[in-house]
Amino acid sequence: MSFEWPWQYNFPPFFTLQPNVDTRQKQLAAWCSLVLSYCRHRKLYTLDVMEAQESPVFNNKKIARKLSMEAIQVVFEELRKKGNLEWMDKNKTRCLVMWRRPEEWGKLIYQWVSKNGMVNSVFTLYELSNGDDTENEEFHGLEEWMLLRSLQALQTEGKAEIITMDDGKGVKFF
Amino acid sequence: MHRRGVGAGAIAKKKLAEAKYRERGTVLAEDQIAQMSKQLETFKTHLEEFASKHKQEIRKNSQFRVQFQEMCATIGVDPLASGKGFWSEMLGVGDFYYELGVQIIEVCLALKHRNGGLITLDELHQRVLKGRGKFAQDVSQDDLVRAIKKLKAMGNGFGMIPVGGSYLVQSVPAELNMDHTVVLQLAEKKGYVTVMEIKDSLKWERERACHVLDHLLKEGLAWLDSQADGEPQYWLPALFSELSSRDVTPEEANQMTP
Repeated sequence: MSFEWPWQYNFPPFFTLQPNVDTRQKQLAAWCSLVLSYCRHRKLYTLDVMEAQESPVFNNKKIARKLSMEAIQVVFEELRKKGNLEWMDKNKTRCLVMWRRPEEWGKLIYQWVSKNGMVNSVFTLYELSNGDDTENEEFHGLEEWMLLRSLQALQTEGKAEIITMDDGKGVKFF
Repeated sequence: MHRRGVGAGAIAKKKLAEAKYRERGTVLAEDQIAQMSKQLETFKTHLEEFASKHKQEIRKNSQFRVQFQEMCATIGVDPLASGKGFWSEMLGVGDFYYELGVQIIEVCLALKHRNGGLITLDELHQRVLKGRGKFAQDVSQDDLVRAIKKLKAMGNGFGMIPVGGSYLVQSVPAELNMDHTVVLQLAEKKGYVTVMEIKDSLKWERERACHVLDHLLKEGLAWLDSQADGEPQYWLPALFSELSSRDVTPEEANQMTP
């Protein structure tokens, strides 16, 4: 399914950081939405800032407009404040993009587990993210760091317990 | 030849003559007015008869409605006058425009965050029709214009700016003076405008052009594009043609600042 760009994407000023405060607020909200939707669509969990500049999200070749490095950083900072982004390094060259927050993933995973009557079973992390049984689930292909965080969220809620096994980690659901 | 008197006596005489003329004029005018009132009454009665006879058509047919409205206007009858009375009760015409007014407000509110409260009459028309569905009464642009005029009279912050043969409908009380209006008209062709273009077309000083553009930015009616070839361009979402076909997505709805 091809990605549906929002109307702002073909609107040239969208790629210029707006001087008017209220307009800028709307603009940044739209950018945050766009980045998250795009990452969700492409199942991207990390972004490299340098590469991002050339990615279609920030660079619309059709209208010859691209977001400046400075503006990209502003958008990323907004996402960070909203809890959807985390920097992987001090220099802010790579970041984790959480188009779904760990709690939300945890909920989805738990729903699948209970729907299939598998509460009290033990799973390896691999089974959850890459197993045949989960192929049709949204969390299939979830990267390990994200999966772990989601399970940690469930753990805090008392719905799961992460266990260390011989060859890696596993989880038991309650 | 006697010299015309300019003393106090002459002035008094003049005043008396003027008073006499005025009185005569008043008498004449009163006569005429009485005659005209009678004629108007006749017109009104005929119009009322006409209206009841063609009630259905007036409701269904927007072309007919235009002509009917124009007839009313020529004798100073306003079928949209609020409150009870022959017109609103007989035809329910008042209801039709009242409801249309509400619809217009809804459409404008829903899109305000995108276009700052400025929308083309075309887009407004499209969206109102869409909202009414297939089996609803036909609504013409003339209907919209009348409904908007009513809204304006009620002090809802509505206004209409003539651009490129049609109108831009303003639904927020942003202060737009003649300078702003004329720049909007200039921007209508391409959806954007630059300082140079304003200076060339309108022969203004740079400062005046910048002042207007700054105001449009401030009111959220224009966005700045600094990556254009040459100088910065000021784009108006209201004139961005691609916008008119797009619905408000759930994501966009979530972004709307109250």
